[in-house]
Amino acid sequence: MQGHLVVDEDHCTGCGSCMLACSLEKEGKFSLFLSRIQVARNEEKAQFTPAVCIQCSEAPCITACPVEALSRDETTGAIKLNRALCTGCRQCVTACPYGGVQFDQTRDIPLICDLCGGTPACVEACQLPHAITYVQDVTGEAT
Amino acid sequence: MNTSYPGRLLIVDLSSGTIHNEHISPERLTSFLGGRGVGVKLLWDLVSGSTDPLGKENALLVIPGALSGTSAPCSGRTTLLAKSPATGRYLKSNIGGWIGVSLKLAGIDGLVFTGKSAQPVYLSLSSKGWQLHPADDLWGQGVRPTTRALKEKHGADVEVMCIGPAGERLVKFASVMTSYYNAAARGGIGAVMGSKNLKAVVVDAAMGELTVADPNGFARAVKRARDLLYNDSIAEDLHKFGTARDVDALNELRILPSYNFQKSHISGEVGRISGRAWPDLGYLKGIVGCAGCIYSCHRFTRIDSGKYAGTYSGGPEYETVASFGSGCGLLDPEPVFVANYLCNDLGLDTISTGNVIQWAMESVQRGVLSRTDCDGIDLQFGNGDAVIEMVKNIAYRHGLGNLLAEGVAHAAEQIGQGSQRWAIQARGLEQSRVETRGAYAYALAFAVNPRGPDHLHSECLAEFGGTKEGRALVKRVAGDERYAVPNIEDKRAEIVRWHEDIYAVSDALGLCAFTTTAAYSLQEELIAEILKTATSIDLGPEELLKVGRRIITLERCFNLRDGLCPESDDILPWRIMHEPQPDLPGGGEPITPERLKRMLSEYYRLHGWDTHGFPTTTTLQELNLTFASPELSDAYDNCK
Repeated sequence: MQGHLVVDEDHCTGCGSCMLACSLEKEGKFSLFLSRIQVARNEEKAQFTPAVCIQCSEAPCITACPVEALSRDETTGAIKLNRALCTGCRQCVTACPYGGVQFDQTRDIPLICDLCGGTPACVEACQLPHAITYVQDVTGEAT
Repeated sequence: MNTSYPGRLLIVDLSSGTIHNEHISPERLTSFLGGRGVGVKLLWDLVSGSTDPLGKENALLVIPGALSGTSAPCSGRTTLLAKSPATGRYLKSNIGGWIGVSLKLAGIDGLVFTGKSAQPVYLSLSSKGWQLHPADDLWGQGVRPTTRALKEKHGADVEVMCIGPAGERLVKFASVMTSYYNAAARGGIGAVMGSKNLKAVVVDAAMGELTVADPNGFARAVKRARDLLYNDSIAEDLHKFGTARDVDALNELRILPSYNFQKSHISGEVGRISGRAWPDLGYLKGIVGCAGCIYSCHRFTRIDSGKYAGTYSGGPEYETVASFGSGCGLLDPEPVFVANYLCNDLGLDTISTGNVIQWAMESVQRGVLSRTDCDGIDLQFGNGDAVIEMVKNIAYRHGLGNLLAEGVAHAAEQIGQGSQRWAIQARGLEQSRVETRGAYAYALAFAVNPRGPDHLHSECLAEFGGTKEGRALVKRVAGDERYAVPNIEDKRAEIVRWHEDIYAVSDALGLCAFTTTAAYSLQEELIAEILKTATSIDLGPEELLKVGRRIITLERCFNLRDGLCPESDDILPWRIMHEPQPDLPGGGEPITPERLKRMLSEYYRLHGWDTHGFPTTTTLQELNLTFASPELSDAYDNCK
């Protein structure tokens, strides 16, 4: 089972439910900066732009990492971080053309979506707007 | 201290410019939770009967819900409280957007503003600290330029809550705004903020964090809540078409307040002022959600061409459409959009603004006001440009606008000539756009609402029986689905009491009332589970509703202490009580004083209040409100 997230900014309402759900799932608490998905909000014009790792097949972040701390999880297809190796150099953040790699300044580590093992918390929190879809590559099914 | 809910208040004395923080005791958090609950107890302690609402002795409270900042669905709402300059009594006014969530993430569970600054100021805060800044350059600016300027100075990601020119000029129905177009609209809360020379609050939550007591249990409870809410009958429609989606359907049902409640049906092409039509008409440019909302009911509209081209804002909501649209006799949505934008930018409540304009229009219709009295504006029903001019004149207090800015009760008192009969207000607050002659639970709820006749203390939608969830709720609280009809007296007290309780709980927790009293899917048991896993406050469903009852009863005590006499004050607008509405199905008899009295008697009895509408000593003991008892004895003697 391999998959990735697809975001549709035209459907994003800027509610941030995805960010709150993500930080709870991954960190056990609520914060905006700890969320793997980030939504840039401009309420004045109702323009909302979600950014999240799309699990590129040729991932620039993996290539950019000088210490091979990033690799692909063979089961889920998600990019995973080996924290023991990571030096916090942020080259993965810079290398990502989609703004999909966040950086936790408090711990000096990148935050990359791991697809929650196949049931992404952000998707579950966005069922009415449908701005985030989880696409499973093998079957082509969307959830 | 409860580590997952510390109850940290920031106390800002605007007279001295000093700021310190205090913690609410765990016992008080358990008794009142947060938001409106914590707020009413603070207000009880801080403000007394002699307090001038626009004097420095009034307090302004900003209290996010106990669940705000978490991923509990639709939990981002915040309650603002003060003594109301419109009614002189208790006021809570609830706001969405991101301000409450940001406060919670920044580690603040509430703001308390006291005193009055000598010069205009604004407060900035984050998890790292706080500061008052001069705001002379912002004073006089609208909500949009103020928000832009503060984001430019403090960063694009900060949240701004501010007043516009109407709040600065102490308009009695000025709003507080956040995220450009989310309003704490009712009761003149913006005038209180203006009276303190407080222009804005800026919150930077970027590096903030919030913990919950049991993250895994919380995630499971929230998942259950979301699944229920996604599957509710109203979910899809509310998201796609917003609160104004059914204006044309309400008109078909002949329950759409029109022409200042002279009619409940408007002839002509009503479809264009219905939210359902806006996508096809090209006005709908986006859908916006408040922080943590899974429904996202807010519209974002823009006019692309014609004489109002370029106007854009959030909304309009149902109340705004019924206020400026059918209320002012407008079937063209464009002047409604413009009036909505102006209210959002000038900081005005759209309900009261539309209401006072309708009163002036009817005064013109009846020959009580001349065109000269209206500063040359042709204030006829159906004149969109006249409505737009009047909105501006009210905010800036020009001409007749200066009189209307004092509220419809005051304006009618000044003009006289019987115009009090078409001033659609009670206790100083303009009624919201519900045809209460055809909705008896709403009528009862409006008569006892501590801030005045509106739907935001007890949204009794279930009495219409429009959804299966609403009918099931009526069966649960009244014993049978057959009571889910709006124009009978039976069981209205039961229906109102449950809605009041759950609404107060929702406000205390920061939950949007749409999750509990429109969707009806999120009910006591699951809310209690979410609360427990988030904060360790462990209340069963009955105890949770009891917190709601405690809040409502203390609000009642606050007003009684301030001189409210139930006999003369638990009333509805004159027109609703004395004139029929023949447009209504079934004849539309008025809610006569006798009819209202019958429903009130039952309501008092259910609450454990005496026949005069005062909570009994036993009731106060049961709700742990005995501290209020000694303060009611003088009030009791004065009323009898």
